[in-house]
Amino acid sequence: MKIWSSSRWKKPAQGALLASTFVLGGCVTVPYADDVRDVRSTLGSRWAPELPVPALTGEAPRGEDVDTVVKELLSQPLTADAAVRIALLNNRDLRAAMHELGIATGNVVQASLPPIPEVGLEVTKPAGSTKVQTGLGLEYNLSDLILLPQRRGVALAERASEQARTASEVLGLAYRTRLAFYEVQARRQQLELRNLALRNAQARYGTAVELEKVGNLRALDLATERSAVEAARLAVAEADNALQDAREDLNVELGLFGADTQWTVDALLADPSDALSKQEGLEARAIEVSLDLSELRGRMEAADRRNQLARTEGFLPTLSGGVHGEREDDRWEMGASLRVGVPLFDRKRGERIATLSSRESLKARYEATATAIRASLRQARFRVESTASRAMHVRDVLLPATRKALEETVLQYNAMQLGVFDLLRAQDNVTNAASTYVDTLLEHHRARAALEQLLAGRHQGVELAPTRISSAASGSAPAADAH
Amino acid sequence: MDRREFMQFGALAGGTLLAGQALAQTPSNLAPAVRARAEKPRIVAPGGQVAVVTPNGSTLPWKNVGGVKVGHLVAMPVRHTFAPGLEVEAWGYNGSTPGPTIEAVEGDRIRIYVTNRLPEPTTVHWHGLILPNGMDGVSGLNQRPIAPGETFAYEFTLNRAGTYMYHPHYDEMTQMALGMMGMLIVHPKRSRGPRVDRDFALMTHEWKVLPGMRRPDPNAMSDFNVLTFNSKAFPATAPLVIGRGERVRIRLGNLSAMDHHPIHLHGLYFEVTGTDGGFVPESARYPETSVLVPVGSTRVIEFVADEPGDWAMHCHMTHHVMNQMGHAAPVTVGANARNIDKQVQALVPQYMTMGQDGMGGMEEMGMPVPPNSIPMKGGKGPFGSIDMGGMFTVLKVRENPEAEDGSGWYVHPKGTVADKADPAKLAADGIDPDVRFG
Ligand SMILES: [Cu+2]
Repeated sequence: MKIWSSSRWKKPAQGALLASTFVLGGCVTVPYADDVRDVRSTLGSRWAPELPVPALTGEAPRGEDVDTVVKELLSQPLTADAAVRIALLNNRDLRAAMHELGIATGNVVQASLPPIPEVGLEVTKPAGSTKVQTGLGLEYNLSDLILLPQRRGVALAERASEQARTASEVLGLAYRTRLAFYEVQARRQQLELRNLALRNAQARYGTAVELEKVGNLRALDLATERSAVEAARLAVAEADNALQDAREDLNVELGLFGADTQWTVDALLADPSDALSKQEGLEARAIEVSLDLSELRGRMEAADRRNQLARTEGFLPTLSGGVHGEREDDRWEMGASLRVGVPLFDRKRGERIATLSSRESLKARYEATATAIRASLRQARFRVESTASRAMHVRDVLLPATRKALEETVLQYNAMQLGVFDLLRAQDNVTNAASTYVDTLLEHHRARAALEQLLAGRHQGVELAPTRISSAASGSAPAADAH
Repeated sequence: MDRREFMQFGALAGGTLLAGQALAQTPSNLAPAVRARAEKPRIVAPGGQVAVVTPNGSTLPWKNVGGVKVGHLVAMPVRHTFAPGLEVEAWGYNGSTPGPTIEAVEGDRIRIYVTNRLPEPTTVHWHGLILPNGMDGVSGLNQRPIAPGETFAYEFTLNRAGTYMYHPHYDEMTQMALGMMGMLIVHPKRSRGPRVDRDFALMTHEWKVLPGMRRPDPNAMSDFNVLTFNSKAFPATAPLVIGRGERVRIRLGNLSAMDHHPIHLHGLYFEVTGTDGGFVPESARYPETSVLVPVGSTRVIEFVADEPGDWAMHCHMTHHVMNQMGHAAPVTVGANARNIDKQVQALVPQYMTMGQDGMGGMEEMGMPVPPNSIPMKGGKGPFGSIDMGGMFTVLKVRENPEAEDGSGWYVHPKGTVADKADPAKLAADGIDPDVRFG
């Protein structure tokens, strides 16, 4: 594991700080644009190159422009990339996270300010005297001034940690948006297939009605076909509900409500590709770029610095110094003073125990997280490969096999060896194979998003659905010999 | 019959055998077999008894060795065509199913070598013959089975004239289902009854070959879907060409697995003159147009056809005149096809409802069917398609049979074919075609 150095985090943060200190001066504004820029630079190389980050510019909070861009994106059928773009522009949780980073920025600014000098004015009139004596004093807390660089160091480390966490939230949003988008695509395709299955059941029932009408079919068979139609209708309603759920999940990520939720999706789930999972050294890469680990490292650094601060405070006497002037008889008398508080009883031992423990706890958590990241990566990688090969098996073998079976059933139907019901059942098997393809493809895209997410640096919230184990006989009993 | 006659006969029969083999190899070319029907009948037995003709088949050639007729049967896998378009992996003898008809004369001593080229043992049972027990061919009871590659010799004297059959008696179910059988005919030393001019042998059989399959199913116990005369299904059955006024004998044998066949002849009536048990006394004969041929039996019928024409001859079980009839499809007779088509075609564009107005003329729809399957019915006839298949053939009664090769149709004298009624005649006869009942 790479030994972490804090230097790489200091630079951008310090830059921001400088900007804040000098530019803001006396009037305070929220340093949103700078925080966004910092997050962007944190994401930097971690950000998978094909993912867009235009939303994360300083212009992001300017409502009007954002709305125009979002509306423009929503006016066309959504793609996964467009959805991510909208989410980055429009998701209020992300904006909240950015403002949370502002809190840390504020803390840095605050910690960088030198202590305030205390000015004292004394006006006395000794008894019996008509003259008024004026005294002027200036007191300055020297300890705070000496400790300022260390306090600022703590605040900087904390901000670095926050910055990593915020960057990770950007990734998290992009990830959740992708998942929600794939879910919408899959549910839309499944709804179409369930509608096809319903039409199939209706065709069987319609045929049964015609045959029963002229006395060629038992009431039993008619009732059986009828029940199949009603079951298929229910499946359509369920699929429709699932699509609505998926749309709403995506709306949450996109930060949309009202008329803006009328977006459409017309792209089908893309074909599988396991090219990414085939690359070498993925585990090491995931560890290297992990923002989860960066955040923990920032917090470890902050704990270290807090510990150092406490140590310094523990032995540094409380120092304050001042100058004092008194005007007497139109003449100023000047003097200086130094006050030393000796830390005899409070040597900050408790605080040092706390910060050290916090440091050790974070270290253990760091190692546990690294282990979990490696395991997740291997799991995601295997899932990407497995779902790719499964999806291709469905697409290139199973689906053509069911189509071939349908063709052969047509021939057997023409030869009067099989009936129209067998024919429609063979057609239904094609639909079911297509359904399996969509399911497998969704699982694949979910796994790929998870893998990309891990390689972009976020482990938190990455989830793979439990593996499905379908029964081999799913609904495709061979219709070869009817006897 | 003298020795010279026998040699002559043998040569002829051998020629027929070769033609039969050629036929098996080029199944679509039926012409040679058809033409063979029209030859002038040959005399093969004393008393001017004519040779047996096996339509679509052949006769076993003999070698005369020291007064013994020596023949050779090879049990073997056979590529067989039931009708153009339906070829199967069958089993048979000497390259064909049924095997060659064995034809001899009462009192002959015959020695038949049986070579087994099947993948499993076999035997030959001489069905209906009374012979020394060790020659009866029941595996395990009368002999040990003939192992693959072995050749056994069967030798016995034919003591009784009649119409018999031969078939394996080892794994009967499989070997017979796959086509192993043949007719065995023993002419009487002195001809009995009136001399016949034509003598035919027809072996009836049933098979199960689902469309798209290449091997008959020996496990079938019902739903046989290929019904044959001499292992041919109409339209590939060769017609029987005879002369008007000729006396004709047809020997029917049945080695089907499960079905008896009521064979019905049009245009004449006949008498049953023999069974595999012997000759039916004249006093016991009665006129018939159908004869039931039970499984494991032979029936010999004789008739004189006076009415010229092309006459149907078939099994009267209606499913036995269908080829590869399917029994699993729902009945659509009477249904509104348009309502069904609309819904099903949306899902399966190639779909078309069939049979809603009955199944006549269905073979003309020309829908694609699985490879290696034949239309359920339909052969070319002078007035269009003949709406039958399977165990169906045509008896062609002609003034001059030798001039016919069996491929031509009877030319009807003017005004002797049923046709649309003349309205004037309808009116004159007081027939109202629009009459309502009930
Ligand atoms: Cu029959």
